[in-house]
Parts: sequence; structure tokens; C-alpha cells
Amino acid sequence: MQRITIDPITRLEGHGKIEIFLDEHGDVANTYFQIPELRGFERFCVGRPVEEMPVLTNRICGVCPEAHHMAAAKAADAVYHVTPPRPARLLRELLYSGFYFTDHTTHFYALGGPDFIVGPDAPVSERSILGVVRKVGLEIGGRVIQARRSGHRVIEIIGGRGVHPVTAVPGGMTKSITEAERAEIEEIGRWAIEFAQGSLQLFDQIVLNDPAYRDLLTGEAYTDRTYYMGLVDDGQRPNFYDGRVRVVAPDGEPLGSYEPAEYTDWIAEHVEPWTYLKFPYLKRVGWKGFVDGKESGVYVASPLARLNVADGMATPLAQAEFERFFATLAPEPSASGRHGMVHNRLATHWARLIELLYAAERMLELARDPEITSDDVRTVPTEKPTEGVGTVEAPRGTLTHHYWTDERGLLTRVNLVVGTTNNYAPISMSVRRAAQSFIRSGTVVTDGLLNRVEMAFRSYDPCFGCATHSLPGQMPLEVTIHDADGAIVDVLRQYC
Amino acid sequence: MSEPPAGTTLVLGLGNPILGDDGVGWRVVEEIEAVLGASTPASPGACDPGPDRVEVDRLSLGGLRLMERLIGYERAILVDAIATGEAPPGTVRCLRLDDLPDRGRDRLASAHDSSLGAALVLGRALGAQLPVAPWIVAVEADLDVEVTDQLSPAVAGAVPRAAAEVLRLLGLETAGMGKGSADGA
Repeated sequence: MQRITIDPITRLEGHGKIEIFLDEHGDVANTYFQIPELRGFERFCVGRPVEEMPVLTNRICGVCPEAHHMAAAKAADAVYHVTPPRPARLLRELLYSGFYFTDHTTHFYALGGPDFIVGPDAPVSERSILGVVRKVGLEIGGRVIQARRSGHRVIEIIGGRGVHPVTAVPGGMTKSITEAERAEIEEIGRWAIEFAQGSLQLFDQIVLNDPAYRDLLTGEAYTDRTYYMGLVDDGQRPNFYDGRVRVVAPDGEPLGSYEPAEYTDWIAEHVEPWTYLKFPYLKRVGWKGFVDGKESGVYVASPLARLNVADGMATPLAQAEFERFFATLAPEPSASGRHGMVHNRLATHWARLIELLYAAERMLELARDPEITSDDVRTVPTEKPTEGVGTVEAPRGTLTHHYWTDERGLLTRVNLVVGTTNNYAPISMSVRRAAQSFIRSGTVVTDGLLNRVEMAFRSYDPCFGCATHSLPGQMPLEVTIHDADGAIVDVLRQYC
Repeated sequence: MSEPPAGTTLVLGLGNPILGDDGVGWRVVEEIEAVLGASTPASPGACDPGPDRVEVDRLSLGGLRLMERLIGYERAILVDAIATGEAPPGTVRCLRLDDLPDRGRDRLASAHDSSLGAALVLGRALGAQLPVAPWIVAVEADLDVEVTDQLSPAVAGAVPRAAAEVLRLLGLETAGMGKGSADGA
């Protein structure tokens, strides 16, 4: 077999490494996508007080510290068998909505933008946020920075800091917010809704009105018909902070839903010899390999997944966009009578903007809740700590923290299922599709392959690294291509 | 979130404090705070050593977020680990941002962010006041993805030298801090 690699030069940022093996005809026989594992985290945590976890797990990842803060706080609530008072839960969700607003804005403009706003075939020098600003203009560029600042401000007001919040503790929050702070957040919420609507209009103008882009969104090249997963409220609508985990089959039929604490009944992990990371799959369906379809337990957890599992959105403007999304991309109802299913991974970018609008509307709704400035923000734990699970929807997938402690509340065991881990199998499948499209009979279309791989995995917004910053500041990707005898025939390298 | 007073220098320790040598930037700015007499190690410290104001902080992020943190400052000194593989671990270097290869400048630095270089170009294009050429005090490290709050001996030994380098850049050379000049500078 022949062998292609996408690899790291620095370990600072974490890296993706892809190896592609060709068969004797020069076509793709197999692909292996490896991402590094954060080693020793459990060992580091064991023996520490569980109440440190919301701050400590903040440091696992520089991309979504707020998601870890929330999942850890909820797991610590469960360990102490305590339910935070309603105002505390509202404050946590409000902080989290501010975080989603910032994170989804950044992804669309800075990360998805190079593919969608500037264009997948644009020259390399334009495929960056600078290229995006050149295309959309300085005014929108300024609004993007303002959007990030607004989201960080909400996090700072409630979480005590603009990044790495510190206020969620077992049983609730360490502080309430004042009326003046509430009013400031309400103002931000109003502005955020306008910003999100403007972003959806931009998506319409640039993507949906362009026949080439529409083909990409509706074609088969980025499509895998998998299961989907996401947290939903009682009305089967997405909620980022709380709810039951719903799982829906590729044909739209719900497989069921479960309480986060039951996750081990639903999720199992498949092991491959070539990677440290495990591949989670649906226990009830079973592992059938890196294949899609109703018989394969591979599932996706992402903005697209959350829309696919939902029956609607909890806020009115996002609901209208939800309806338009499915009417455009999957107009036929699914066999079970639910809306059609959207399987094209690039549609995740549109789904993310609908979630952006939902986060903005939710921010305003929560800021107007009469209890949001209440001082009743903590139920002090009194029961003996044991074991607990906390789950939130991280922007890049369902995030679960599971802790075990002794009777003093000192951790004895820790298990984390992070957003990207859920998507490891489907990302690997998308990478294989990209390879198959651009390698035929031994001919490799270098630029096409690298861009295609990049676009495929960026739609999942995966988190490869756990180092929280980078110098010199790049994530190298290296693809090694091997021939049928295993000899290296080509190494492609790209800083992406 | 308020704008810093004119003439302020920001000293920023970068890195992840629970990822081994990646956390060296935080340790170095602890030393700076000790020298400057700031007394709030867990929060941004500010003090007034002379005509110019110095602010000290820690950050575990790069790219856009780092650029946003630099808005309003005339000067900035970033302290961080670096893995070039070209020098032994513990080597301290004083660099300008432009000295670093920025292959991410016209690309994305990672799947999640832009490089600092690209972020600064963007910030300036949008009219933000940003330090003209941030200094980087970089400590060579052999980085691994291993969770620990301990520095390796070679990198721990470099902390006083890196701190001395920061103080030199601030014009606050202090006897007894490090060995005067940085290795490999």
C-alpha cells in the first residue's frame, strides 16, 4: 500500500497528523487522522478538592474555558447532591450565552470566513480573517471585534473575569449582579440580536445566493449520514446549559434521550491501534467501522447535530431561521414525520449562525428575567460528596465531566468526554472523503487536497490542542502519502 | 475593560500554568510582581515604579484575544515559552514579534484563532491603538502535552534570567536578579 502524512512541527499548539495509504492502483485505501491526547490530567486532579475543578478545568483548553467551567460546576453540584437556586442557574446560562455569542462569532468570521466569505478557491494570501475584512469591509470588521468585546463583557460581569471565569461553585454562584450590570447586559443583548441577524443576512448574500456555494452545501462531497446528538429542553429544543441528551438517527427518527448521568449506558468507546484517542459510538447501535448509515453507531455532536436533533428553537427569531434552514436544505419531511435531516457538514456554518441568533435572544431574555438580580445565588452543600456528572453543550459538541470523590470531597477519579472526542470518527470519515476526491490513480491534487481536508475538519471546529496559546503561532498540518508498499511518495505541509 | 493611562507598559505572562514548561511565562511575571511590589498575584497587578506605569497580568490565550488585551498600551512585553529546538531548554531570548516566523500571518494560526501577527494587523486596520513592536522574552522549552504545574529543572532555572531580561527592558535593572544578560540573546 502507498502512504500520504498531515504533521506537526511544534507541539505548542497541538497538531493534526494525517496518513494516507494508497492501493496498487494509486487510489485511497485508507486514511489515519491522529490528534494528540492531553496526558496526565486525571492524575493531576486526583487528590484535589472537587470545588477546584471549575477553575482548574478552565485550563484544559484555551478555546472553550467557559464550557469546562460550566460542566465542572454542574458535576460538582451533582457530587454534593445540591441544586443551585434558580437565579444562579439563570446567571450561569446568561454567562454561557455571552460565551456562545463570542465563540460562534469568532468561528464564522475568523475561521469559517476564509472558506465561505472569501471563498474556497481564493488564493492562500486571502484565506484569513484579514482577507475576510478586505471582503466585507472595515465596518463589519469593527462590529466583529465589538461582538467579541460584548460577549467578553458579559462573561466578565458574571464570571468575574473576561476569560477563565471563576464564579461558578458547587451549589451556585459566588456573586449576584447589580441592576446597573443587568441593564448593561440587556443593552448588549439587544445589540447582539441585530449583529446575529446581520450575520445571517451576510450568509444569505455571499453563500446562499451564490450557485457554486449552494452546490457545495447541497452536494455529496461533504455528506455523511450519521446519528446526531445534542442537549434539549422539555420541548425538544436546543439548550446549551442544561437538559436531556437526545439522539436522532440519520433518517430523522429519534433513538431516544437520556439524563447526562446515564451517559455510560449510551456511549461506548472503540479503540484503534494507531491512535491514543478513543472513538465514542452509540452502544445501542454498535461499532461498524468508519461508515455512515443507520446501522453504524457513529454520531456527530455539533451545531448541525443540535439542529438535527431539535424539533424547534426556544426563541422566535431563531425559530424562523430554523424553519428556513430545513426548508432550504432538506425540504422533504423525514420518515418519522419530523423535519428533514441535513447531513452536509458545510451546513454546520449556517447552523452555527442560527445558534448565534438564539444565544443573542436568550441573553436578552435572561437579562430581563425578574429574578436575574436576586441575591439568592447559592445553596450551600450540606450532604456528603460522592459522585457526579455534569453536561453542557460546548460550541463544538456535548461536553461531559464525571467526578468521583471521597467523603471529604477529594477527587479519586475523573473522566471527561470533550466535544471534539465525540466527533473523532466522523472527522476521520470526512478526511477520508477529501482524500478520495483529490487522489485518483496516483495523481494528487495538492492544493485541493489540503484545502478540502481543512474545510472538512474546520466545519466541526475541532479542538486539537490543549496548550492554550502558541508561539510562533501556527498549527502545521502535514499529510504523508504512502504507496502500496508503504514507501513515502509525498509529504504535503500546510500552516493552517 | 477601561483604557489604560497613556504611557503604560503591559508585561504579560503567557501560557498554561498546568501544562509544565508552557507555564514559565506566569512564573516569570510572578518575579516581576515581587520586584515591583504588586501584591495581587491572582489578578492584574499595577504599580508605579517611576514616570512610566507598568501593569502586569497573565493570559492563557493567543491570537485575537491577546491582541484585544494589548489594546490601548504603548508598549508590551510578552513572556512565554518557545519551542524552536534550536537551543537547549532554558535558553532565554529577547525577541521582537517580527523576529518570529509568522507563517500564520496570511493563514489561520490554528483551527481556532489567528496568529498574533495577523491579529495585530487586523486590530490596527480597525483603528485600535496597539503597541508598535511588542517585545517577547522567550524561554526555550522542550514542550510535551503533559499536565503538571511543575517546571522542568532547566526551565525553572531560567526564570530569574528571564525576569532580569524583562526588568532590563523596563529600564529597571536590579542587582541580584539573574546573571545580568540573557543566554543566547
